[in-house]
Order: sequence, then C-alpha cells, then structure tokens
Amino acid sequence: MEINLYLSIMPEALIASMLSPQEFGSYFAVGTKKRTRGQAMFFKLKRDFKSDYLKIDDIEKRCVPDEDGTPKRSKYISIYRVLEHVPMKSIENLYLVTDDGRVLELKREEYIDNENDALHLYQQLGPVRPLIASSLNPPDFCKILTDTTQPVSVPKLVFVELILNGLANDPENAPLDNIPYQNIDHMRGCLINLKKKPSKPNKTVVRSTQNDILYRTCKNGFFIGDNETMFYYPMPTREKLEGEYYAWWKSALTQGFNY
Amino acid sequence: MINGIFWTVPIASIIALAFAVLFFKQMMKNSEGTDRMVTIAEHIRKGAMAYLKQQYKVVGIFFLIMTLLFSIMAYGFNLQNPWVPFAFLTGGFFSGLAGFFGMKTATYASARTANAAITSLNGALKIAFRSGAVMGLVVVGLGLLDISIWFIALNYFYPIEIGDGHNLVIITTTMLTFGMGASAQALFARVGGGIFTKAADVGGDLVGKVEAGIPEDDPRNPATIADNVGDNVGDVAGMGADLYESYCGSILATSALGAAAFMGNSDMQLKAVIAPMLIAAVGIILSILGIYLVKTKEGATQKELLESLSRGINISSILVIVFSLGILYLVDIENMMGIWGAIIVGLATGTVIGKATEYYTSATYKPTQKIAKSTEFGAATVIISGLGTGMISTTIPVLAVVMGIILSFLFASGFNFNNMGLGLYGIGIAAVGMLSTLGITLATDAYGPIADNAGGNAEMSGLGEEVRKRTDALDSLGNTTAATGKGFAIGSAALTALALLASYIEELRIGLLRIGETVLEFSNGTNVSIATATLTDFMNFYDVNLMNPKVLVGMLVGSMMSFLFCGLTMNAVGRAASKMVEEVRRQFREIPGILEGESVPDYARCVEISTKGAQREMLLPASLAILVPILVGLIMGVPAVVGLMVGALVSGFVLAVFMANSGGSWDNAKKYIEEGHLGGKGSRAHKAAIIGDTVGDPFKDTSGPSLNILIKLMSMVAIVMSGLTVAFSLL
Repeated sequence: MEINLYLSIMPEALIASMLSPQEFGSYFAVGTKKRTRGQAMFFKLKRDFKSDYLKIDDIEKRCVPDEDGTPKRSKYISIYRVLEHVPMKSIENLYLVTDDGRVLELKREEYIDNENDALHLYQQLGPVRPLIASSLNPPDFCKILTDTTQPVSVPKLVFVELILNGLANDPENAPLDNIPYQNIDHMRGCLINLKKKPSKPNKTVVRSTQNDILYRTCKNGFFIGDNETMFYYPMPTREKLEGEYYAWWKSALTQGFNY
Repeated sequence: MINGIFWTVPIASIIALAFAVLFFKQMMKNSEGTDRMVTIAEHIRKGAMAYLKQQYKVVGIFFLIMTLLFSIMAYGFNLQNPWVPFAFLTGGFFSGLAGFFGMKTATYASARTANAAITSLNGALKIAFRSGAVMGLVVVGLGLLDISIWFIALNYFYPIEIGDGHNLVIITTTMLTFGMGASAQALFARVGGGIFTKAADVGGDLVGKVEAGIPEDDPRNPATIADNVGDNVGDVAGMGADLYESYCGSILATSALGAAAFMGNSDMQLKAVIAPMLIAAVGIILSILGIYLVKTKEGATQKELLESLSRGINISSILVIVFSLGILYLVDIENMMGIWGAIIVGLATGTVIGKATEYYTSATYKPTQKIAKSTEFGAATVIISGLGTGMISTTIPVLAVVMGIILSFLFASGFNFNNMGLGLYGIGIAAVGMLSTLGITLATDAYGPIADNAGGNAEMSGLGEEVRKRTDALDSLGNTTAATGKGFAIGSAALTALALLASYIEELRIGLLRIGETVLEFSNGTNVSIATATLTDFMNFYDVNLMNPKVLVGMLVGSMMSFLFCGLTMNAVGRAASKMVEEVRRQFREIPGILEGESVPDYARCVEISTKGAQREMLLPASLAILVPILVGLIMGVPAVVGLMVGALVSGFVLAVFMANSGGSWDNAKKYIEEGHLGGKGSRAHKAAIIGDTVGDPFKDTSGPSLNILIKLMSMVAIVMSGLTVAFSLL
C-alpha cells in the first residue's frame, strides 16, 4: 500500500498515512467512531526530500498496515516545528476539510495581484495564529513576515486572506454586513489606524485565534511561503462551490455551530 | 321543505371534491424523477402513513370510548341528543379524512415538484400549489358535504315546516355537535403532528447540525426523513383538520344562531340557516377560480412569486364580496345589506390579521430586523426581544378582531346593541366570510410543506444548483404564506369560538327541554318559557355576570388552561426531541460509514420514535382539554362554563398570536442573518439567532397553532355536554 506524507497545518504535524487525501481528511476530521469532529487543513507532500530534523527515512517500517490488513490511517512523524523543515518544492496540493469530514482539494496557481484593495486581513494559520490587519498585498506580507533577519519573523508561513468587503477601502464608514468576525469594532479601529499611518504596514487584531476558519470568509485563497517563494492556492468561485462542490460548500457553511 | 337554492351547497361540495380529484390526477401524471428521488419520496410517504396509522389507532380508541359515553348519555339517561354519537363520529371521520387526503397528496407531490423544478419554476409552482389546493378543496368539500348530508337527513326526521321553527333549532344545534368530533380529531392531529414535527426537527438539528456539523436536509442525518414527514403530519394533516373544524364550526354555529335569532319567523329562519352555507358554497367556486389564476414566469423574484399567490386569493376574496351580495339578494334575507356588511368585515378582519402577521414575522420589516439586531448581544437578548415583539404583535390582530366583532354585530343588528340575536348572527357570518375562501387560502398553507419537502428532496438527491435555487425560492415563499395562514387560522378561531359561545346558550335551551323543564323561573317570581326565552333571559337566569364568583372562577380556569396546555405541549416537544437526540447519536455511533455517506441511516427508526413520542405526549393535553369543561360544568354549572369559555377564548387567542408571531419572527431573524446581514452565517449573531429559532420552533409549530383548537374544542365539549351540565351541576 502506498504511503502518503501529509503536512497538517491545524495542528502542525507531519503524518504518514496509507489513506488517500480524501480518506485521510475525512478520518482526520471525524475519526473512525464519529465521536470527534474538527476542522482540518493539510498539504500533501512529495516524499523526495531529506531532512535531518524530520525522520522520514524509515517511514516504510513505521507506517505499516494493522494486523488485520487495514491500511494504517495515521502515523505521526513529528508534531513540532514541522512547517519550517519541509522544503517548499515538496509541497503539493492543499486540502481543506470541514468539521464533518468533507474534503476540498485546492491546486496551486500563480498569484496575480489585480486588486485595488488598500487594506487586507490575514489569518495566519501556522506556525503561529494571529489575525493581522495589513496594508500589504499577500506576497509582500509573506515576504516581510518570513524575513528572518527581522526580530519578528517565522521561517515559513501559512496564511489566508479574509474578506473585508467595503472595509478594505473605507474602514470608517463601510457597513459590516456579512462579516462574521468577533470584536468587530476593534478590527475596524485597527484598519483605520493602518489607513492613517501608512508607515506601519501591519497591525495585530487578535494575538492568537483559537477558532476554526469560516471557509466562506476566505477572500481569494490560501498561501504558503518563505522569504524566497510563495505558493498560492485559490479557492473556487462561489458559483463553482455552489455547483461542483456543493456538498463540501454546504458543510463548510454549517461550520461554527460548536457550542 | 328545504329551499331550492340550498341544493347549491351539496353541488358546490361535490364540485370541490371533483376538482380535488382532478388536481390530484394532474399532479400524479408528472414524474417523480430519478430513482433516488423516488426512494426519498417513498421513505417520507411510508413514514407519514405509518404515523397516521398509529395516530388513527389511538384516536380510534378515544372515539370509541367517547361514542359509547355519548350513547349511554343519549339512550340511557336522555341527557343527550340521540344524534350526537353519530354526529360526533362523522365529524371526526371527515376531519381525519381531510387530513389524510391532504397529506397523501402532499407526500406524492414533493418529489414531483422537485422534478418539475429541474426545468421550470412555473411548473414546480403549479404542481406544489395545486397539490396544496387538493387539501384546501378536500377540506371545504368534505365540510360542506357533511353539513349537507346532516341537514338533509335531520330535515327528514325533524321536518322544518313543522314545529313553528323549533325543529330548525333542533337541527342546527344537533349539527353543531359534529363539531366536537372534528375538534377532537383536529386537536390530536395538531398536537400530535406538532410534537412529531418539532421532535424530529429539533432533535435532528441538535445532533446533526450542532454536534456532527452536518447540514440540514443532509441524507446522512437519520432524522432527516422524520423531519420531512413531520412537515406533512404537522403542517398538512394538522392544519387541514384544524381548519376543517373552524370552517364547519363557523358555518354551523352561525346557522344555529340564525335559527335562534329568527325564532317565530320560520321563513326567515330557514334563510338565516342556509345563508352561511350558501356563502361558503360560493366561496368554493370562487376559490377554484382563484387557484387557476396562480401562475408565474420563469426566473420570478420572491416578490413576484408572492404576488402570484396573492392575486389568486385577492381576486377570490373580491369576487366573494360581490357574489355574496347576489346570494343574499336571492335568498331575500332580512337586513340584507347589514349581513353583507358583516361578510365584508370578516374578510377584511382576516386580511388585516394576515398582513399584521406578515409585518411582525417577515424580515422585510423592522420588528424582525430588530430581533436580528439583538443577536449581536447574545442569545438572551434575542429571546427577550422575540418575546417582546411577539407580545406587541398581538395588538393589531386583537384590535382587528375587536373591530370585526363590533362592526359585524352593528351591521347585522341594524346598529342596535339590544338586537342581540341578529348581532351575534352577524359575528358568525363574519367568521364564515373570513373562511369562505378557505379553498384557496388553505392551498397556500399546504403548499408550504410541499415546497419545503421538494427542497429537501432536491438536496438529498443532489440535484443541480439551479434546481435548488428554484425549490429554495418556492420554500421561502411557503414560509411567508404559512405565517400568514397561521394568523388567519387564529383569527377565524377567535370569531368561531365567539359564535360557539353564543350557540352554547341555544344548546342549553335544548338540554333543559330534554330533561323536561319548560320554564325559566326567576327569583323575582316571573317565568319565561324556555322555548321562547331570549339569550339575555338565559344569561339572567343563570346569573352570568362578572360579580358572580362562578363566572370569575371559570374565567380564571379557562385562562389557566391556555397556559397549562402550552406548557405541556412545549415540554412534550423537549422530551420527544431528547429521545430523537439519543437515537441519532446512537446511529452515528453504531452504524459505520454514515457520516462518510457509505451506509444508509435507519430512517424508519427515527420516524417510529417521533411517532411514539407524539402519541404518548399528546394524550395528557388532549384529555385535559376534554375533561376540564366537563368537570367545571359538573361542579360549578353553567355560569362557570361560560366563564371558562370566555377565559380560554381571550387568553388562548392572544397567547396563540403571541406564540405564532414570536416563533415566526425568530425563524426569519435567523434567515435574515443567513442572507448576509449582521455578520452572516457562522457569526456570533448567527449562533444567537439559532438559539432563538430553536426556542421558537415549538412556539410557532406546536403550542401556538394547537391553542386554536383548544379554544374551539373546549367550547364544543361545553356545547355537547350542556345536557349533563344542566342536569347534574353541583353548585
């Protein structure tokens, strides 16, 4: 049985599995007994990289079928500082899993900046999870946050740009309407500050978010990058989600009912 | 000799039933769609029929016991009209039959509506609406048929040309008792259906949506089919039986009041008795015309869809106003213009209540938007604002009914408050006017669950985006019409109950005569013949005034009954829902592959749990509704019974409006947020709105609508048991 390598973002971990990405995503979200549920997000990795930090050489020995022949669902390789040790060139498709186990595959595309939004909202997903208001576009944001010469930086970053609708250009007056974020007045204040002080490109809105991502708030797609390279995984359009990926999309819209 | 024009009534009832059969056949000609769609529809049909079978078993036992009791009272002790056992049975039978046909049609129509939505919005609207019309026409058709048969049969045994009008009083008061059978059937259908539907809905949502995170109408949720079955048993069978009772009750009570009002003038008496039946007959024909006017264009907006439904109802209503004048002219009834005025008042009152309901429950207007806004501060404020809005929303319907009562009384009585008999007849006529277009108004009600189920079928069958958009549009329209329909049902119940209150006095007259009394002996020594005594004479004789503690006690018990009944039915939903939660959790745990969509859940088990829960839970509230008027009558006599009826009417009417509107506005506040306001889906506001909606579910779909029937059933029990009350009351 083929062994796949997955880089989980939530939580950060490197996992070997004999399941396909779709099967793994479903298993990862709801388990086998359906007693748990939880959103998940992971990249499929090529197995061609070498790492002194991540012990993947003996993966065939560690990731073996169960005694009854059932494929090994998950074998954790590492759960700490995984992201920074995975080379960019080994990263393949991204999989977004809803909390009831529906999986959407996103393929990499080149990022083309053709927007006029003055302000952005970035939810960092790994290795740390602050919510940042920014005047930078995604490539610049990624570059500045992964500049390890700076005191506040990470070697590699996974993030998603969230919708701001009218607030992106008019944070003072635009209506909030369909924006579901908590502490919205504080967020509006952060955006106004950014607009007033162009010299300061980023402002932390929430130091560390614990909640699941509402997939419907994703503005354009997901990003992973270091200081050299950035990969972009665009979300399908709303029409495509409602048409081709309806089951996933409806499940994604139901998220957030975790009382 | 029955007036020739009377035959219009049975003919209209047969026309209604013929069109119901035609619409049913036309609907059945359409395809149910793919194998998957057929399978889902079959699951729902089987579940709905299994529920009805179980319900009819329980109700059958109840009817058997009650019929035996009535027979002993009638034939053993001469305390009861000998026709009552039969009238009770036919009322219950026809009411149940109306619900059965309506539900059968609805369960056949949903998949066909979804399938038609693949190609056309208008096609889907037509199937859903005309299937709803089957329900409307079956209710009015069977109602008028039952009335016609009894009128003809009783006329054979009590010829109206003999007895100086007394026989007509006997005929109308006897016919009125079949309302108790219809009411009892309706109460079981409404309460049982209401508990079923909300147990499945709330229970399914709590585990499916909240715990497992799977969306509504997802085939992986074992309670999904039960939820869809619930829409049919609650909103179709329950609503049908409820309005069947209101429809017949208003006609029969008005006829009884007409017979009493014109006592001594047998020609005018007969005209007053058949006039409400004729107005209902004209209403049937014009409803059918209105049904044909409901159509829309492709890609119609929500507003255009609503307009197409409103067009049918509005044109029918206007034509009823015009044609009823013609009918009254042909009948040549006394104070024709005044009676006609009462009909217009009834229709106008219904329209005002419907519009007020729409205003307070639709997200297009401020009250619901304010509730939505309150979600930003959490669940507690949503509950508070929903309760507050619901309470405020009682103002317009209550004032509309107040105006309706005063105006119809004044018009019919010739602006003379002392002309009690004709004034009360006018109130009854107003109720008949309001319900005259029931054929089409009930169609818009029954259409709702059909469209809802069509959406569920499209969802579970994985039909395309365009189809789901069409079924969603139809479903959304159904939510608006259902809220308006509930307002209409409550308003008509209030007027009908008032007419029943007056009819109760007529039943007292018959009850006293049956036990051998001939005169009312007053404390001042004067005597009045019972046969000719006026309503005021009876009120004076029984000392029905607010200073009599018996009346006050009765009023307090009546008011309490509304709240007790609501509390019992709401708790019943909670208990039945918790059983559903356990079952859905068990299936997720024990049946492998449900959440992956690899194995099929045990839908039938969930239907069974909801069915058993509903049957068990409906018995106590239903029994109380029947026993309390009997006990109050036996212990404290007529004044307390009148107080009980008044107390239940005033508290039940206001409470029903409050609960239906609170529930409706919570529901639509949630939908308003889901449309993208105040943070939209997944926001904190949305979570708070979901809590409000869950609280509102039993408000609007179980307790609120059941109150209509509670009011009427208690009145009917009081009427049927009046012989027992006058013979055996302790105090």
